[in-house]
Amino acid sequence: MSGVTLRGVRKSYGGLEVIKGVDLDIAPREFVVFVGPSGCGKSTLLRMIAGLEEISGGELQIGGTRMNEVDPSARGIAMVFQTYALYPHMTVRENMGFALRFAGLSKAEIDKQVMEAARVLELEPLLDRKPKALSGGQRQRVAIGRAIVRHPQVFLFDEPLSNLDAELRVHMRIEIARLHKKLNATIIYVTHDQVEAMTLADKIVVLRAGVVEQVGSPLTLYDDPDNLFVAGFIGSPKMNFLPAVVDAGGALRLPDHGDQILPALPASAKLSSGTQVTLGLRPEHFRPDGAAGLRLTVDLVEHLGGESFAYARHGEGGEVITVSTGDSRALESGQSFDARFDPSKALLFNAQGLRLR
Amino acid sequence: MGKFRLGRSENVYAWLFLAPALTLLAIFMVYPILWSLWMSFQTGKGVNTQFGGLANIYRLTQDPVFLRALTNTLIFLIIQVPIMIVLAILAAVALNDPKLRGRAFFRTAIFLPCVTSLVAYSVLFKSMFATDGVVNDTLMWLHIISSPIPWLAQPFWAKCLIIIAITWRWTGYNMIFFLAALQNIDRSIYEAARIDGVPAWARFVYLTVPMLKPVILFTTVISTIGTLQLFDEVNNITASGGVGGAPADSTLTLSLYIYNLTFRFMPSLGYAATVSYVIVVLVALLTALQFFVARERK
Ligand SMILES: Nc1ncnc2c1ncn2[C@@H]1O[C@H](COP(=O)(O)OP(=O)(O)OP(=O)(O)O)[C@@H](O)[C@H]1O
Ligand SMILES: [Mg+2]
Repeated sequence: MSGVTLRGVRKSYGGLEVIKGVDLDIAPREFVVFVGPSGCGKSTLLRMIAGLEEISGGELQIGGTRMNEVDPSARGIAMVFQTYALYPHMTVRENMGFALRFAGLSKAEIDKQVMEAARVLELEPLLDRKPKALSGGQRQRVAIGRAIVRHPQVFLFDEPLSNLDAELRVHMRIEIARLHKKLNATIIYVTHDQVEAMTLADKIVVLRAGVVEQVGSPLTLYDDPDNLFVAGFIGSPKMNFLPAVVDAGGALRLPDHGDQILPALPASAKLSSGTQVTLGLRPEHFRPDGAAGLRLTVDLVEHLGGESFAYARHGEGGEVITVSTGDSRALESGQSFDARFDPSKALLFNAQGLRLR
Repeated sequence: MGKFRLGRSENVYAWLFLAPALTLLAIFMVYPILWSLWMSFQTGKGVNTQFGGLANIYRLTQDPVFLRALTNTLIFLIIQVPIMIVLAILAAVALNDPKLRGRAFFRTAIFLPCVTSLVAYSVLFKSMFATDGVVNDTLMWLHIISSPIPWLAQPFWAKCLIIIAITWRWTGYNMIFFLAALQNIDRSIYEAARIDGVPAWARFVYLTVPMLKPVILFTTVISTIGTLQLFDEVNNITASGGVGGAPADSTLTLSLYIYNLTFRFMPSLGYAATVSYVIVVLVALLTALQFFVARERK
């Protein structure tokens, strides 16, 4: 299996630069997920690796070989599209075997490959059906089967599950994870669903406006984000951001919360008094036994069953703060409460949005 | 059947609203169709006709002019329709390429012929394909031919000219259907094939053509019907001294023959109606054949 390396990769459409110099190392057998808001260039980057979009600058290597000018079919990759891109007039069997006819394989050999892929994906009973007689999940499995039969070095997935309903999406997600273990292949996977990213990835690449914001394992990005954008993008519900001012000795004053003072954090102790910072608090950092507290009034409570979230604010006009109340269902809207949290868990960002450690 | 029934008065209103359209249809469609069927059993000339049973059908088999018109029509059909459909598909595929510059211009240019005036285009074709016309001049200037082609004087070349003319006129029309169909095909289907190493010719033969099958069937059927009714071009471009189908009836078609039987010769309305029904039967047979060939195979 091959790794993939990107060095200063750029893409412009006319004068508009949409990928602004991406450096990335993907190890063999790694499962890498590209996430980012809509329009940030995830698909474009993936299609450049596939060879469907020309690379305007920089270098792409697959398995250590420069691939910028190589035809898509010779890059050792296979791609699964969001729309499945099945051939509508061919049966499942023909869909999976079609490309192999042009790879110089014998009929018997093609049959063997197709049966093998069908077995792995449990498609055997459907082999003689046409795509229009399949459900969304089955179509997606055929599209994956069509990729498998070619034994690519690298699999590319562009939002493969976004046309499926929630339940099927969970099911297919597990199936893709299982497949990755079985095939032992390098996978690059684009999604804007962060649950998919968190559960599938060995490594997540967070993109924004054509720039890589941070690369790391899912838990690294969650626990230790490099900047406000990553902190806000990873995790659901979103992290709360509270404006704060550094006081004497690194203590933090919260002007939006009645000038309440929090004890100094390791990162804030080094800052001079008066510095504007942003405090990041995840909803689940709120715990009944926390050392600090915010006086909040509940706007709305969401009960998910296992856990509940309160959307609350300080006073009338304050920012909404999301508080995980664990399995406690006692809060009601309009009620005031003391949201306790552990201040040592809070993350600190400077005025430019960069993390202070 | 559903349990829901319209009330009696609603029924009456429905018929009242439909009545004007139905009346027009009955007078101008149903009545002439039935009347011409009745007429096709009449023999005799002018107003002096009598019931002749199958006499007209027997006459068809003995009529060398009819047989020639039938042969010509079928030749036009068999040669022109496939050429035009293939050209239309190729033009559509070329114009569907997003990388092509000036797509809108070419699309319009290829479509324009079918909306130009029939007479204007006939006159132009006649002069362009004259012995000393611009076409012969150009071909000679390019050294493709050494002496002028007798487009209008020789049976073979006259047939070629008609085929060129109707292909020129109708290719763009058919192309529009193919373009519309192509634009509905998901682009990622081609991208998937490209990544999987399917060569360009195979993408065309095994992906594009099968996915266009319903449109190919549709355009073939309407083109077949159009060519079986071919009249305008042979009555204008290859007319000589006001008589169409020249030279020597080599471009005479069934429709032109019907016209001649009715308006040029001593009117033989019954026999002309019989020839019309030959076209009807041919259209029905060929359409059925085309649907049969294009059916979903198990
Ligand atoms: N052919 C093109 N010409 C000009 N700009 C383009 C073209 N294709 C994409 N773009 C631009 O490039 C940017 C990145 O697009 P891309 O499709 O990669 O986004 P994405 O991250 O995949 O978004 P989504 O999550 O919505 O799929 C967008 O701003 C888009 O408008
Ligand atoms: Mg995308």
